[in-house]
Amino acid sequence: MRSEASDEELMLRYGKGDAGAFEALYRRHRLPLYRFLLRQVGNAESAEELFQDLWMRVVNSRGRYEVRAKFTSWVYAIAHNRLMDFYRANGRASFVSHEESESVLEDLPAGEIAADLRLDRKRAVERLLAALGELPDAQREAFLLQQESELSIEEIAAATEVSPETAKSRLRYAVAKLRASLGKKS
Amino acid sequence: MIERRDDELSRIYRDAEGPRPPQRVDDNILAASQRVAGARRRHAGFRFARRWGTPVALAATVLVTFTLALMVFERESGLDAMAPETPRTDRQAKVLPAEPRADQPGTPSPLVLRPIAPAPPISQVLQRDPVGQGPGGSTVSRGGLGTGQPAFAPEVPRAPDALRKREEAKPAPAAAAPAASERASVERQPPAQSAPELRQQAPQATAPPAAGAGGLLESASTVRSAGGFASPLAVSEAKERTPEKWLEDIRKLRTEGKTTEVERELAEFRKRYPDYILPEDLR
Repeated sequence: MRSEASDEELMLRYGKGDAGAFEALYRRHRLPLYRFLLRQVGNAESAEELFQDLWMRVVNSRGRYEVRAKFTSWVYAIAHNRLMDFYRANGRASFVSHEESESVLEDLPAGEIAADLRLDRKRAVERLLAALGELPDAQREAFLLQQESELSIEEIAAATEVSPETAKSRLRYAVAKLRASLGKKS
Repeated sequence: MIERRDDELSRIYRDAEGPRPPQRVDDNILAASQRVAGARRRHAGFRFARRWGTPVALAATVLVTFTLALMVFERESGLDAMAPETPRTDRQAKVLPAEPRADQPGTPSPLVLRPIAPAPPISQVLQRDPVGQGPGGSTVSRGGLGTGQPAFAPEVPRAPDALRKREEAKPAPAAAAPAASERASVERQPPAQSAPELRQQAPQATAPPAAGAGGLLESASTVRSAGGFASPLAVSEAKERTPEKWLEDIRKLRTEGKTTEVERELAEFRKRYPDYILPEDLR
């Protein structure tokens, strides 16, 4: 339980001119947001550009920020929108958000992580990150949102502008595929 | 199940060495946030100025305009209060305007304020046209026509008496016109003579003792028509003789039998004070 101010309180204080509140907010969320961006765009240069632009949007929104939702929901929604802009600007194929059928899930392996990977955390991480890169964009985003922001399914849905069922489905597929990749013997 | 966080995957994911943004990126973002926060504090004051600046400026403008108008009004009222007590219409009838108006060359100009040319010596006066028509065509003393005397000769000697009388008279602008008539010699005065010269010549003009009162009652129009500066003495005398005094002088002329001069003076008086109701004995 945090004894310090909540994200929403810090943002409101920053809106009133408290630069220290923004710094506290930034220190709290800079790493998860950076990872979220980096692991979606795949290169540091683009990630830094998106990261800086994201925070400048937060700064510029200080005057009109209202506590309508969690700060993390709001800021990750900005990150999502910024990613979409990036994909469009870079000629990337439309955000792959095709929803896979349930049968795909049934075809996936049981999802047990291989024993050797349980022992070799480093290799497990490498396998996981590699598998994460191979996920469809939407599924990857859903997984990263869950891991980095600790948002609920509903909040993920709101941030990505999809229904909760769609968000749940995406997340399910992501986890299943990652487990399947980790379950394979190296 | 799948809705809940997959703890095992989460543990593996968290084991991944978390990439960090470069320090310069951190610095840029924090600097921008502080810059904006500082600008916002300044804008708080600017916002007040933006919100209230225009209404305050308008109110100040209205206040200043109203104050100036009030000051002008009070000043004009003060000037009116300082003016002579006679009614405005009477004043217009009895008082010469302060300044000659260039757009109205025919109107009588204020002898009170307009200097007239100094009086030429008597000899010069006597050499002039005895009819005494001034440049303005105004009447001049015609006393000489019927009497065979030079036009100005009988008038000059009365200058001292008239001067004394006028000095004793009330210093009203109404005296300007009749006072100007005293200077018969100034009718044709050159405009270039200065006031000191006029003063010097005035005693000369007053030397002959035989001048009649009519000489001193030369019409203001003749003096004005001379187009020159009136002497300061004449100006002061004209300023001092009131209409009543003027009428009194006219009565004296009548008792002396100088009917021509009386008529001339009355004509000048009527010109000067058209609204003044003459007493029955002078009608």
